[in-house]
Amino acid sequence: MTSVRTRIAGMALFVPAIFILSVLFVYPFFRSFIGSFRVNNHWGLQNYLTVMDLYKGDILYTLAISLASLLILLIFAIILGGFLRLKQNTVLEFLFKIPLFIPFVVVGHAMRVFLAPHGTLNAVLAALGLVNLQNPPSLAFSATGIVIALTWKNLSFALLMMMGAFRSIDDSYIEASYNMGAKSLRTIVSVLMPMAKGAIAVSAVLIFTSMIGSFSIPIMLGAGNGPQMAMVDLYYQIVYQNNYGAANALGVISYLLSMGAAIYYLRMVTTHER
Amino acid sequence: MNAKLKLFLKFLGYACAIFVIFGPISSIVLWSLAQKWYWPHLFPQELGLFYWQKVLGGNIMHSLALSFYIAILVTLLTLLFTVPMSYLLARYKIPAKGLILTLFLLPQAFPQLPVFTNAMVLLYRWDLVGTMPGVVLIHLVGALVYSVWTLVSVFRSIPIALEEAAINVGASKLRVFFTIALPNAIPGIIAASLLVFLYSLDEFTGTLLIGSPFITTMPIYMYKTAMGYEMQVAAITALLLMLPGLLLLFLIEKYLKSQYLATFGRG
Repeated sequence: MTSVRTRIAGMALFVPAIFILSVLFVYPFFRSFIGSFRVNNHWGLQNYLTVMDLYKGDILYTLAISLASLLILLIFAIILGGFLRLKQNTVLEFLFKIPLFIPFVVVGHAMRVFLAPHGTLNAVLAALGLVNLQNPPSLAFSATGIVIALTWKNLSFALLMMMGAFRSIDDSYIEASYNMGAKSLRTIVSVLMPMAKGAIAVSAVLIFTSMIGSFSIPIMLGAGNGPQMAMVDLYYQIVYQNNYGAANALGVISYLLSMGAAIYYLRMVTTHER
Repeated sequence: MNAKLKLFLKFLGYACAIFVIFGPISSIVLWSLAQKWYWPHLFPQELGLFYWQKVLGGNIMHSLALSFYIAILVTLLTLLFTVPMSYLLARYKIPAKGLILTLFLLPQAFPQLPVFTNAMVLLYRWDLVGTMPGVVLIHLVGALVYSVWTLVSVFRSIPIALEEAAINVGASKLRVFFTIALPNAIPGIIAASLLVFLYSLDEFTGTLLIGSPFITTMPIYMYKTAMGYEMQVAAITALLLMLPGLLLLFLIEKYLKSQYLATFGRG
């Protein structure tokens, strides 16, 4: 029915976007695989050996930071999301949407000054008598600082995902739980949580992936010496060492760690587009 | 639980939430106003607008204008490239549709930095590193993906019955798009373009790689001043940089469905 000319015109509408994405994402994506196996114009595993030698600790560090932030976020989002599901509170809901709209670099810098030895956090804690300012702890340039910043930035996303899942649970289950005498927390843990198992798993995978690939926050909050997160190592390999082979090997490892999200997205496309 | 305790807990909850969200932000507000601040003092010894005046008269305005210029350009190009395409994807049987949608998922699924470093090698070859077109192109990668995701779901949420009725009375497909689908999608398109605009304004990773050393957008300017410990300048830049996002949140929070927001905020 549709004429050939309309079909061609239709296809032409796809060309610019697909072209840009293919040239600037898909092709570079595959190039990083090829580049990771190239050593002085030969094929080999040398880059991976270099990366393992230099960055084994940093890869574990990246995993540890990502898992720690993820755990804090999940506990926070399940509990607060649960309470907001049971009792609507537009003020809190709005408040926790703010981090989503603050740029990463701003979060990085804000945390640098907030968590500094004489920063606002220690000032408040000292006023409460929890911290001695003669010898203040510094969280800014440490693993804890990165965990706090990544957690803060992802508060909104985690909460939005969880509330979306909880809202799709029918009220009757919650009423039944209350009728059996369960309190709010109990209802969240034994009714809402098990029913949103799938959604919780998906959020966990997506959050974990974005943490593995995070760059601006770790580069602003990482310590000058000591372990770095994988993306910071990768950036330094490019900028200071000009070693694209090692950088690409590190990149491929980060892709492998992100496979969970990739599989989820692929399944989403295949199930939606039947 | 007695009523007093309940009220106290509620108050405590709000206080904690406000501190968690505004604590970090308050630090940069304080720094932006600090004319003199030597540790171990907890608060600046001298507050004032001196640095604001200094910064706003300096080269930050150039970065600000550049950032807005790039963001507007990216938004317009993104709309041009994705509105008709998303409509077709939402409504028609397209050959290799699964493949196309997968293509638009890839950048969401994998870390950006390793890919962008390889894109940088290509852009070097074409002399686009350190230029405006280079930065616009690298912003487009994220913007296109984000826009297609949002717009396909916008067009899908419009009841197809309207369009079918128009076709039945003999309207052409082009006319259906312009007179029915497009006007109905306007709120969604506005939401998508505002978020794409914000994405481009805040983009850091790609700009750092592709824009250096000549294209200094606001996030890059902020990063450089922060790393150089120009505390007041960095704080003021940070505040200016977060303003558009907050404004957007206050203005259109009601209209932003959570599914639009969920894919936002990675980088």
